[in-house]
Amino acid sequence: PERSARVSKVRPPLHQYIRKLLFSDLDKSSIEQVLRQLRKLPWNECETYLLKCFMKVHRGKYGQIHLIASLTAGLSRYHDEFAVAVVDEVLEEIRLGLEMNDYGMQQCRLAHMRLLGELYNYEQLDSSVIFDTLYLILVFGHRTAEQDVLDPPEDCFRIRMVITLLETCGHYFDRGSSKRKLDRFLIHFQRYILSKGALPLDIEFDLQDLFVDLRPKMTRYSSIEEVNAVLVELEEHERTVSTDKANSEKHSDTEKPRSRSTS
Amino acid sequence: MKGPLDRAKVVVRHLPPTISQSAFIEQIDGRFTGRYNWVSFRPGKTSQKRQSYARAYIDFKKPEDVIEFAEFFDGHVFVNEKGTQFKTIVEYAPSQRVPRQWSKKDGR
Repeated sequence: PERSARVSKVRPPLHQYIRKLLFSDLDKSSIEQVLRQLRKLPWNECETYLLKCFMKVHRGKYGQIHLIASLTAGLSRYHDEFAVAVVDEVLEEIRLGLEMNDYGMQQCRLAHMRLLGELYNYEQLDSSVIFDTLYLILVFGHRTAEQDVLDPPEDCFRIRMVITLLETCGHYFDRGSSKRKLDRFLIHFQRYILSKGALPLDIEFDLQDLFVDLRPKMTRYSSIEEVNAVLVELEEHERTVSTDKANSEKHSDTEKPRSRSTS
Repeated sequence: MKGPLDRAKVVVRHLPPTISQSAFIEQIDGRFTGRYNWVSFRPGKTSQKRQSYARAYIDFKKPEDVIEFAEFFDGHVFVNEKGTQFKTIVEYAPSQRVPRQWSKKDGR
């Protein structure tokens, strides 16, 4: 055939070195060393490229994504702007994924959910960011003309996204206000799940595992009407609580989040 | 932690892929000079395979300035030389974290 040989991309040595560190050297035992090497890089020259590589978490092993979050935390001490950029960038990727809903990107999108959860575990973002993202996943593009493209009725990918994120960091939402926030979210999530009708078995099993893991005693509702009733009740309750709270605002208990570092 | 009313960091999305940082800053300075603490610009990309918009994060000094900025810039339309239109979106950034002013100098 008249096709010329594929030209392989030639990367500058510095980029090659960064790729070697992140994509082949990095593992549990080498992370300290990789961190030290990253700190020695000429940051002005390669910060942008490093950010790009940090977003390629789907290239590595799924079980190693926490190492990227750990590196981010390690670097934030000296390069806080970089850690901020990592958080902003992964949130943008998640948003972009919702906007495109490209089948070919699914693996990559799940890796980003995992990274977001791990960044929470390494204290690089607040729980409010996690909950905002969870709700965004449930509602993005709904009630617009594009709903059938962005979240077609038989498409269960968003359920996968939620499962992935909560598998990664949901167990930290087990006390105080974040516990209540997760309880509330899971009801909304159930409503979303029911709107999908019958689920593929693999997703159903993962959901069962997730509920057993996070809220073994929570009822799984079987009809939208039931969930709607629960949600109405919940909102009613929240309204009375917030009026009570407004009356005794000054003495509110500030819950100190407990440390999340896993390493 | 910041409450919803104190949010001052915005993300400006769907900027034209070819806009440069200086061209973007030029657009917002004049009216907003001295009213923000921090800007981070992410250039876009145009290739045949995939094009991506440019994007910017801005941390304003006062939450009220976010409103004025959104009125000024949300929906702002850029037109490139081929006549393609790019309509800017201004939103609160999902993560309100901004870099510490003083970062430790890395002794390495």
